[in-house]
Amino acid sequence: MIMITGGIHQGKTAYAMRKFGLAESDIADGADCNFDALKNVRCILNYHDIVKRLGDRSVTFTEELCRSNPDAVIIINEIGCGIVPIEKSERIWRENVGRCGCIIAANSEKVIRIVCGIPDIIKGENE
Amino acid sequence: MTTLITGGSKCGKSSFAERILEQFHGRKIYIATMQPFGEEAFEAIERHRKMRAGKGFETVEKYTDIHELSLPEDCAVLLECLGNLCANEMFSDGTVSDPAYKIVHGVKQLANSVSELVIVTNQVGSDGITYTDGTADYIRVLGCINRRIAEFADNVIECVYGIPIVLKGEKIW
Repeated sequence: MIMITGGIHQGKTAYAMRKFGLAESDIADGADCNFDALKNVRCILNYHDIVKRLGDRSVTFTEELCRSNPDAVIIINEIGCGIVPIEKSERIWRENVGRCGCIIAANSEKVIRIVCGIPDIIKGENE
Repeated sequence: MTTLITGGSKCGKSSFAERILEQFHGRKIYIATMQPFGEEAFEAIERHRKMRAGKGFETVEKYTDIHELSLPEDCAVLLECLGNLCANEMFSDGTVSDPAYKIVHGVKQLANSVSELVIVTNQVGSDGITYTDGTADYIRVLGCINRRIAEFADNVIECVYGIPIVLKGEKIW
């Protein structure tokens, strides 16, 4: 598994497509994809949206996904570096994104953080 | 040695902090700064308690005024976390004029008195939202505290989804 993270609009998707030779048809968008399709897809974009859609089921879903699609490229925003949101559902989402992100990172042989389009390999070998 | 660990929400800061102190064989003290108010705080405290269980920490609850603590010099201390401590100092009675000075001074005192200090803090300034008054002050003060502690800390580590990134010092795990 490969994990790509970073803030919004840092060039995560462009990097993934370039680096791993992905076409648009290889990518499922977490905002509106079918959950069953995620077992076979090469790349999942906006994983934080999947966490939002699944709520508290997201943690077990993520653990299962790491087993069922171990070669996937997962793109997930970094969203936790701010003030604790006033809205409870936002707080729960933010915490679940953190938990799911830690699970994906632990199962990934490589984790890449993109800042201003520049990849920083924070886990795994730098080739 | 003093180590500052920063990062966002649920990014594995605490587990990493505990991991650093696994190699320490003396007395280990956990300074808990989160006040058990409300269901979510209670849940968070329980979660962290479970995580620490069996790892040999004694817990000291100290929500403000950490400079008052007097701890044995051969112990290791895990202070968690500056985000709560700063909020407690700023919002509990609202009379602390410079919480940054007070907190940094307290942390420095701990750093000079115990054998190993690990401090967990938070990154709170990157959500792109413009806040007013109290919250804006909080972000400014916590940012200032983090910078001042990072200056004298031997190591500064950022956790990103559980992955430690060395910002200052050596890889110590």
